[in-house]
Amino acid sequence: MNKWSFPLVLLVAPAIVMAGGAPTNSDSVPAEVAEGRQIYEQYCAACHGRQGEGTADWNKPDEKGEMPPPPHDETGHTWRHSDSMLVRMIAEGWRHPFNKTDRLTMPAFKDILTDQEIRSVIEYLKTLWTEDQRRYQQDESQDSNQAESPS
Amino acid sequence: MKAIFYHLSSGASGLFLLALAVFMPALVQAQPASDGQSVKALTTNASGALVVLRGSGLFALEGQTAVEMPLPPSDSGSQPNTLAKGADSSLYLAGPGLGIWRYDNANESWQPLNDTLPDLGITAIAAHATQPDTLYAYLGDDGMFRSRDGGEGWVKVDSGPREPVQAFLHSDMPGSMESGWLFAGTTRGVSRSMDCFCFWGDAGELRGTVAAIDYDPSAPENVYAVTEGRLHHSSDGGETWANLESTQAVTALTFSPTEGLVVGTENGDLLTRDASGEWVPLYE
Repeated sequence: MNKWSFPLVLLVAPAIVMAGGAPTNSDSVPAEVAEGRQIYEQYCAACHGRQGEGTADWNKPDEKGEMPPPPHDETGHTWRHSDSMLVRMIAEGWRHPFNKTDRLTMPAFKDILTDQEIRSVIEYLKTLWTEDQRRYQQDESQDSNQAESPS
Repeated sequence: MKAIFYHLSSGASGLFLLALAVFMPALVQAQPASDGQSVKALTTNASGALVVLRGSGLFALEGQTAVEMPLPPSDSGSQPNTLAKGADSSLYLAGPGLGIWRYDNANESWQPLNDTLPDLGITAIAAHATQPDTLYAYLGDDGMFRSRDGGEGWVKVDSGPREPVQAFLHSDMPGSMESGWLFAGTTRGVSRSMDCFCFWGDAGELRGTVAAIDYDPSAPENVYAVTEGRLHHSSDGGETWANLESTQAVTALTFSPTEGLVVGTENGDLLTRDASGEWVPLYE
């Protein structure tokens, strides 16, 4: 080892460690996304599809007069909502006002999932979107944060 | 006696000249409330007065007289075709070839808001019902744009409904995932979306080219639309529509804080409904 080697290791090693980011699983997927995927498959996929593909004709009322579960991938509209709105939707559920039934269109998960688990699911959903959609959703989240805490 | 008469006479002349100087500009601009020209668009200004767009110009109605307002300059001769009132009562005007403009009350002139739009081909605009800085514009060639800073920056948010949009409305009707609803009057009928632009779906089965659309801010489920001269009313946010008989072909409509529903007609009249529901001319 020459005289420059040791300082070089000191300089580069932290960068290598930092570049690793969050803990990852064996496929180098961030742990939060991996956890989100697991939760999604357990609680969400039955309605929204294993790949987030939603129900066919999701944008028209079904025979019961209810709006079917939409896709969460790039063909849906999940990417149009801010993080805070998505957290609220998953936690509290939502009823489409023009449904012909009174039940929640989207059930509430606040008694089933923790806040962290909900955030993990949202991080997983972001992997189903295009780069442009992720950018749009990031802007929506920033605008939403500013609206909620004006300076 | 002669001196007294002279003083009285010269005093009266002075008063007459003074009155002429004060009222002459208003007399020059004031016109009857209706000039027989079809009403292209209607809204109200900050003081609640009706603002009427006709082929002959733009007028603010003060009682029975119409005070002409300036129009934005246009090198191409483009004419405005739509008006909107912002949540802070700002007045907006737009048209193909003109883009979108906001009225500056202090300077009594129009300020362009077109710097970041791809072109000036706006056919319809809407102002957010509760957020003063949020505006929507539909460009025939480029789709839907939204500004959240009062028109300084515009971002394309959606392509819009399948058919071209002729009239546009934002409503604070409850039930949206976000902050309200968008209604787009198209060549096929009324399309509706939450203001996340999640997706556009038919608002009921009203069919035809929609020339104007508005809602009752005090009862937001009540939406009104004009198709081919006929006025329609929905009391359930656009799910179902009923024809509202009118005595003339309707071309424009708005909600006035004092008069309620006001429609403009092909003959240039402005009509409102009396207590029994009959259409009566406004200001008669």
